[in-house]
Amino acid sequence: MMLARHAEDLFWTGRYIERAEDTARLLDVTYHGLLESPLLDAASAWRELLEQLYLDQAFSAKGLPVTDSAVTEFLVLDPDNAGSIVRSLARARDNARNVRERISTELWEEINTLFLELHARDLRTDLEREPYQLYRFVKSRCQTISGVSAETMSRDDGWRFLLLGRMLERAEMTCRLLSVRFRRSSRAAVTSDVHYWIAVLKSVSAFEAYLRAHRAQIEPQDVLEFLLLSREFPRSVLFALRASESELVRLGAGTGPTRPERLLGRLRADLEFMDIHEIVENGLLAALDSLQQGVLAVAESVERHFFRAAVRPELHVCESV
Amino acid sequence: MTTDLFTEYERGDFFDEVFDARGGVRSHYRPLLERLRALAPGELRHRAGLRDTILRNLGITFAVYGEAQGIERTWPLDLIPRIIPADEWHQVERGLVQRVRALNCFLEDLYLGERAALREGVIPAWLVQSSGGFCREAFGIPVPKGARCLVAGIDVVRDAHGTYRVLEDNLRTPSGVSYVLENRATLTRVLPLAFAHRVRPVNHYGASLLSALRNLAPPSASDPPRIVVLTPGIHNSAYFEHAFLARQMGIELVEGRDLVVDDHVVFMRTTRGLSRVDVIYRRVGDEFLDPAVFRSDSVLGVPGLLSAARAGNVSLANAIGNGVADDKAVYAYVPGLVRFYLGEEPILPNVDTYLLWDRDQRAAALSRLHELVVKPVDASGGYGIVIGPKATEEELAGVRKAIEAKPRSYIAQEVVALSRHPTLIDDAPRGTGRIEGRHIDLRPFVLTGEKIEVIPGGLTRVALRKDSLVVNSSQGGGSKDTWVLAAGENGASR
Amino acid sequence: MRFEIDYTSEFKYPEPVWESQNLLRACPVTDAHQTLLQYELKTVPAARVHSYVDYWGTRVDAFGARAPHDRLSIHARSAVETRPGGPMAAAPAWKRLSDPAFVEAHLEFLAVSRHTAWNEALRAEAERRAAPAGADIVGAVLSLHRMVGSSLAYVPGSTSVGVDVNDVLRGRKGVCQDFAHLLIAMCRSLSIPARYVSGYLFSENSDSEREPEAESVRVKTHAWVELAIPGAGWWGLDPTNRQEVGPRHIKIGHGRDYDDVQPLRGVYLGAGDHKLDVCVSIRRGAAASQQ
Repeated sequence: MMLARHAEDLFWTGRYIERAEDTARLLDVTYHGLLESPLLDAASAWRELLEQLYLDQAFSAKGLPVTDSAVTEFLVLDPDNAGSIVRSLARARDNARNVRERISTELWEEINTLFLELHARDLRTDLEREPYQLYRFVKSRCQTISGVSAETMSRDDGWRFLLLGRMLERAEMTCRLLSVRFRRSSRAAVTSDVHYWIAVLKSVSAFEAYLRAHRAQIEPQDVLEFLLLSREFPRSVLFALRASESELVRLGAGTGPTRPERLLGRLRADLEFMDIHEIVENGLLAALDSLQQGVLAVAESVERHFFRAAVRPELHVCESV
Repeated sequence: MTTDLFTEYERGDFFDEVFDARGGVRSHYRPLLERLRALAPGELRHRAGLRDTILRNLGITFAVYGEAQGIERTWPLDLIPRIIPADEWHQVERGLVQRVRALNCFLEDLYLGERAALREGVIPAWLVQSSGGFCREAFGIPVPKGARCLVAGIDVVRDAHGTYRVLEDNLRTPSGVSYVLENRATLTRVLPLAFAHRVRPVNHYGASLLSALRNLAPPSASDPPRIVVLTPGIHNSAYFEHAFLARQMGIELVEGRDLVVDDHVVFMRTTRGLSRVDVIYRRVGDEFLDPAVFRSDSVLGVPGLLSAARAGNVSLANAIGNGVADDKAVYAYVPGLVRFYLGEEPILPNVDTYLLWDRDQRAAALSRLHELVVKPVDASGGYGIVIGPKATEEELAGVRKAIEAKPRSYIAQEVVALSRHPTLIDDAPRGTGRIEGRHIDLRPFVLTGEKIEVIPGGLTRVALRKDSLVVNSSQGGGSKDTWVLAAGENGASR
Repeated sequence: MRFEIDYTSEFKYPEPVWESQNLLRACPVTDAHQTLLQYELKTVPAARVHSYVDYWGTRVDAFGARAPHDRLSIHARSAVETRPGGPMAAAPAWKRLSDPAFVEAHLEFLAVSRHTAWNEALRAEAERRAAPAGADIVGAVLSLHRMVGSSLAYVPGSTSVGVDVNDVLRGRKGVCQDFAHLLIAMCRSLSIPARYVSGYLFSENSDSEREPEAESVRVKTHAWVELAIPGAGWWGLDPTNRQEVGPRHIKIGHGRDYDDVQPLRGVYLGAGDHKLDVCVSIRRGAAASQQ
């Protein structure tokens, strides 16, 4: 049992760190994917990335052309873009600072230092000259944060909310990624193009892990199965859902299954017993969409069940005569 | 041949804590000075660097009003500790316990009793009624065991004769005790050699505070009582201390929005629903505590908190309304309150104070304004004080006008030549490492639990600017670790 | 005279609000001029009420409503018996006002307060109006009382809570709170102790002097003033309807000004604003008790 407000802050710290890391990863893959295959339509690739991050409308509202530099700057350093890496990490830091008493000093220092170092860099120049280095920097520091939190925090409710935030964000991000990808791809590409599938795997850092599991056989259905259903690979949707579920169970211990737990349990079970072949035949997009909506519903339910008390509305005064 | 650290030290015309009138080292400082003198040249400065690293890593900072948000200064701690021998401390301690006991009685009698001190004229009723800290909402709110000043910070100075005098009572939300503990922890790491004496420990403060808070639990509380620390939040200059104390006591640190009152009972909003609270160590000022009763624009408080306290369902530490007793005008009457409520002579005297609403005292004071210190009755942090001998003609004229317009708002005191203590000036790595005398005071912390207890020593504050008498950290003051020697110690070394 | 009073306050919120905390001062006091016979409070949603008597001697009912609600109804019913005070017979001389014991006993009602902070112009006006009475305190007070009653127009809704009393004098209109604050400020500026009284008036309108013919009336809460006359205690005057306080005035309590005796003060959490309807109905009770 902990203060609802602290739980919420930790949950969102987890979500924002994950978001920053995933954004850096996607940028890395897209940017280098374009370099490796100059025949690909760059504008289309960037648009797809923006859509995956729910930022396509925000970007077009800026009225900028869809170029490498405009999009990468938007996604990395734009202070007005609530989804930029800089903003995600700032919010992670704000949330962490509010719960500084609950997290270890080492964890706070990791998050704080990452934020400060990012601010000290000339990000525009970095993006121009060595984006690879910048993306790697963000990814690896986010992973360090992950490691430090795992090694220095007691497995109490605070830890559970931190992990829950990260895993739900990850699950949602992976679903979203896949669903946007498939919606934008031609049927032909989906079924036959090996490079296409390699790019999909790389966008969640799954390429090497997949190869080890499937011995260089790139079959579309195997890739899908891997990304959705692998129990071992930490970025698969099922892995993330199972990790979330076990934290939720512990959070509800002693009180019986909570509503978010029941929603998540059902979602995880539906996924686990999914028949990939059937899905691909009948409606991959619908299935992915429904999965993604399911994750969103769980996140919302977590907020309502555990944090609703932490809502901060206005205080009104009335005086009467 | 080692250069003596103190050869150029000027004692000046003040009471010096270390050197007596003939320049000899007072016996309780001899072991320390021996150890300091034995250090290699530059060693002190090196230790100062180490101290800075430790303080920075521990995040021991504080914010100064007026500085940009997010910028926190590292807490200034001088390496040379201040030492108080056991017998001296014993006297100070008795005086503090006596004074706080009388203040608790006065406040309890004022808000829940017959107001005997007013009725008998020990303190003028009009003075109390017109005090900014007099809180009419506090009437009728019960305080278990009358422990109204659960934590009191009683500022004490030493005059030119070396007599300890109370300068000011701080009974609302006195801060600084976290620095007392961190100063000790840091100094033991940085200058372990200096600990040639047996120094009384201070790290039991958290346990003592928790015990005092438990003692304050209302009759309806569970066993053990559920206690929280209420903070205004991370932007408050003393936030570090709020978090520190909550950690030391192993209790939750909450903000106003984490609490809710239902049917006059206070609850914490947790991930498992509402959890009842019995005692609140609140570091939020009276005015901001309950928007249903006080300032309605306060987001720091808890609507309905006062009705919960009134209904006896929650205890607040410190109690509402203590501000009337730390009003600087009421200060002058505290020795009288000691006599009236305890039937004893005050052990610790006040600083001679002139009440400017009395025509004769005002006339006398105005004729000597350039020799006196003028203080607004309800300011804190050292702001608004005019020190006659140091003030410009303009400042003096301004304060004269202010006094004539609202005499009730000011007191005047003789300038106390605060005692001085050798302090390491310019301890930067390439600095000179000079040791010079600086004025100091002392803020001991007094807890009202089952018994009234004083933490040994307290926060010694140092006016870092040369010749300055203003010691408050918010105005550039520093601090020293304060050592109270164990009984039987007086120069004995380990 | 005996009266039965029905005080109703109803909050309506466009969006549900929650965690409301309220302080109600609607209960008639028992003192030299009236006796409270009965008082009962009900709220919807039902709440546990914690009642106490505040520093000024007024009964306060504290209650909250934590769960979301879009309506909060407060219904207080009381029965009271009033006894007319005698006419003001005393005629102390002005210098009695500076008697130290008198001043000290009335300190809180001589000082400036939030709603009665007078400026030099107001004080000068008070002095001017009081001058013809010479050393006669009662006469001076009556002059000020009449002046306030005749200079200000009673215009409901013309001012809001917290209007500056100097602006009220300049604007020449207000509601009963403003009439009371102005009279208080003028008296205090001349060192005559004055206090603000909250209560009910059995009358057709707040500014009407006549006794109603009807058995019951619908009104709002009312405000008037009490002055301390050396040697004669507190004297009640109602500047809004230009009369001395009598048996049709039912007192709830007094204080330095409106802030000390607000009929209803509350806070709540929520999105939107609120609409508040207050209605007081007063009915003549059975004949007065036998003496």
